[in-house]
Amino acid sequence: MDDPRTELKADTDERRDPPEFDDLVPPEELVAGDRTRDDFFDAVLGLGSPATVGEIADLAGHGVDAAREYLEWFERMGIVTQITDSPATYERNQEYLNWRRVQQLRNQYDDEELLAFLEDAVERDESFAEKFGVESPDAVAIAAHATDTDRSVETVWREVSAWKTTRRRISLLERALQTDTDGTAGQRTVA
Amino acid sequence: MSGGRDGVSGAPIDFARLNVVAERFATDDRSTEIDIQPEFAPDRIVCHYDSGFYPQRVQSARLEIAWLENGDFSIHYHEEHHEGEFDHRWDRHPSDHNTRDHVHPGPDAPTPGDDASHPAEWRDVLSMVLGEVEARQRAFWTE
Repeated sequence: MDDPRTELKADTDERRDPPEFDDLVPPEELVAGDRTRDDFFDAVLGLGSPATVGEIADLAGHGVDAAREYLEWFERMGIVTQITDSPATYERNQEYLNWRRVQQLRNQYDDEELLAFLEDAVERDESFAEKFGVESPDAVAIAAHATDTDRSVETVWREVSAWKTTRRRISLLERALQTDTDGTAGQRTVA
Repeated sequence: MSGGRDGVSGAPIDFARLNVVAERFATDDRSTEIDIQPEFAPDRIVCHYDSGFYPQRVQSARLEIAWLENGDFSIHYHEEHHEGEFDHRWDRHPSDHNTRDHVHPGPDAPTPGDDASHPAEWRDVLSMVLGEVEARQRAFWTE
């Protein structure tokens, strides 16, 4: 990234008392968690396809033995799913993360608020469907749609992603509201 | 690394990853405030930099972070000046003008941007971005 233009820089008076940049937590420490568990959780969060124990150990910056131990624990908790046996590969379990999100929504908001969020999301969903002329974001071929409508791939990608986020939001909110009314608060219902 | 192997597709926002980022940034001295928008489910998080890192001519600066479940992201750094503004964006997503990894460089983040190669691991991407912002902030204070 470019340095600031000269006219934006601190004037001589300001420069006498510059900020204490050296007191800041270094970026690589800030973005990482404090515990070994965080390192492994961060590693599996970033998995887009099944990874071996060794690959996950590398991503987490720890040894293979530790990786094996944490992955077994994570699997029992539902954070990861084991995909293959030999070699053992694991993938992040989006269902678990969704379940956790539903619990958070239930803890943070009451039914009335959740319903209002749901109504907004449904409205948004309908306006996307109308705009794209299809029932689901999965039915949009991004590159082709961009060509047809003379818009950039990036713009269409952004909208399709926002639509998919809206769909995800609707399903989480519906689950949060359902869990509340059928009295299964706090119970594990991982699909 | 993750995502995009199937070419041009979208994905939902990765709430889990953004939550982790928001938690870690929340206690840091760089920012005065972390916004999660909209409040119940972030589409992106916004980190407002402490104005103490900037000379008076810079009114405010923020970093907006969006991450998708397939690993794509868009990170936008923005400064407001008394006269004008500065924008710089680090992106990983399909486009018709650049490779999947690219930057839209400051001062005005033009399209098309420059092809780039960001780190594979998401924490390394964030750490790179924070490092670049800090380098710019430091440069405000040198002659």
